[in-house]
Amino acid sequence: MSAAAAAFLPYREFALKAFARESTYRVEVFSNVGSVVLRVYLFRSLWTALYAQNAAPSGIPLHAMLTYATVALLMSLILEVDGTRAIRDKVREGTIATDLMKPISLPLYFFSDGFGQTVFHALMILPALLLSLLLVHIDVPSPAALAAFALAFALGYLVNFFLNFLMNVVAFWTLETFAIQLMIRWASDLLSGQLLPLAFFPGLLGRVVSDLPFAAIYSTPLRIYIGELPPSGWLEAFGAQLLWLALFSASAFAIWRFAERRVVVQGG
Amino acid sequence: MSIIETRDLRKVFRSVKRTPGALGALRTLFTREYVDRVAVEDVTMSLEAGELVGYIGPNGAGKSTTLKMLTGILVPTSGYVSVAGLVPHEQRMRNARNIGVVFGQRSQLYWDLPLIESFELLRAIYAIPPARYKQNLAEFTSLLEMEAFLSTPVRQLSLGQRMRGDFAAAMLHDPRIVFLDEPTIGLDVVAKESIRNFIARVNSERGTTFILTTHDLADVERLCRRIVLIDTGRLIYDGEIERLKEQYGTHRTLVVELCEPCGELAVEGAEFESREGNTARFRFDRHEISADQLIRRVADRYAVEDVSIEEPELESIIRRIYVEGYQDPDARVAAVPAGAAPA
Repeated sequence: MSAAAAAFLPYREFALKAFARESTYRVEVFSNVGSVVLRVYLFRSLWTALYAQNAAPSGIPLHAMLTYATVALLMSLILEVDGTRAIRDKVREGTIATDLMKPISLPLYFFSDGFGQTVFHALMILPALLLSLLLVHIDVPSPAALAAFALAFALGYLVNFFLNFLMNVVAFWTLETFAIQLMIRWASDLLSGQLLPLAFFPGLLGRVVSDLPFAAIYSTPLRIYIGELPPSGWLEAFGAQLLWLALFSASAFAIWRFAERRVVVQGG
Repeated sequence: MSIIETRDLRKVFRSVKRTPGALGALRTLFTREYVDRVAVEDVTMSLEAGELVGYIGPNGAGKSTTLKMLTGILVPTSGYVSVAGLVPHEQRMRNARNIGVVFGQRSQLYWDLPLIESFELLRAIYAIPPARYKQNLAEFTSLLEMEAFLSTPVRQLSLGQRMRGDFAAAMLHDPRIVFLDEPTIGLDVVAKESIRNFIARVNSERGTTFILTTHDLADVERLCRRIVLIDTGRLIYDGEIERLKEQYGTHRTLVVELCEPCGELAVEGAEFESREGNTARFRFDRHEISADQLIRRVADRYAVEDVSIEEPELESIIRRIYVEGYQDPDARVAAVPAGAAPA
């Protein structure tokens, strides 16, 4: 085994353990699936009623809108897993000290732990999808668009991870991150395109919103999926995602170095 | 070369000064006044490989702060620290491979998973060679009698079982130095004894260096030859327990059971210490008065039901040092008043 592979081994193990741990909370997982399916039903009723009043606002036809809303909900099964929440808890309880006494990189630990959780929750997409199909019709794009969607989703996942990381690492200074989390969560729900397509924002506001980092999380993959973003615009969209990813990950690692240096463990 | 060495180690915590009251809280938001609190001051010590040292002090004395600097998670304000040839806070990851840590108050095991899975995880973290891992696991499982609960989720373990798991977890990677922070807290006598045996055995068979921080001085008496005493951040004694006992050992305590309650208690040649109900305690120096003499004096004055003499225990010696400060007869370490000013 090469040195690089050996160095990677603990992190694979963290992911596997996180996966195993998540699977011990089955009730929570099933209720997540139930909640997503319920929301698919609500969104179908809501959008259908809205479209009855005003056919195709902002040029998105009803079937595409329902596809958008349903795929967004299925994506949320993965994107709402916050593997970095452990940072806040560990800092507050002081257990971060024990972790720092191990020969591991904690940012990578949180990433692999979060990834293990994610994989488990991703398995829940299948039952949620099958149940949703009983309620709505979901458009299936071309294989090329599907592949581009997958790539954009992966990049959005990473942007989302580092955004969460930055929010939670604030705990090193404030111990409490609830207010910040809530603010960013609200902004993100609205501005990421999770609840409604960013095309609904008018004029200048719409342009500003689609240039914000939140758009990289839901809006970019979803616009590719429903075909609102034509293949000619894909590269530019990936570029924007990569830019945010580079910016967020670089600041996350930089801030982490600071944070590690100022560990004042609580109640030690 | 010493395996652990500190020179003039110092740690000052700076925190925002808080003014009481609602207005004060508002002011704290806008103005920043700082208060410095010295947690560790000029600690100089060195440990040889294979030593088992008790690191003792009252709450808030600076023990945990010292341990955190030795494990590399806290950066000293000034001074020098070296652990197995490394500067811990500059080489946290490399230092982590040399050390093991056991906290009595918090577990490093995976709460939701069977005990054995935490061990597997540690095998991956420290890249322990498979053969070595198997051998250590087998040895610790039998020494700590963990066979029965290896596959039980940690959250279902009793405190004693969990502590045994934590000990194994801290030592699977053959650390050269192990830090123990109150490892027997809350355990029953049997569990305590089994943990102490384990420590003694690993220390003698593997030559592992231990630093033991505890409030249970029975742990220290059973395991350590040397103790380091710290109070309000300063080192007040560093040496053999025996020496401390000899020095303070001239004092004994006469415990007297009185037949009936009485007012003032005083006996010539001994110092009245305390009284609880009908039990009175006198401290005396055996060079100044013999026990026989003292008992007769007491019996002359009071109606005595029973008497007994207590040998000085480490605990009472340490308690005295906390209150009075340590006076070194050879003045090898400067006498520093600890806690209350000496009388």
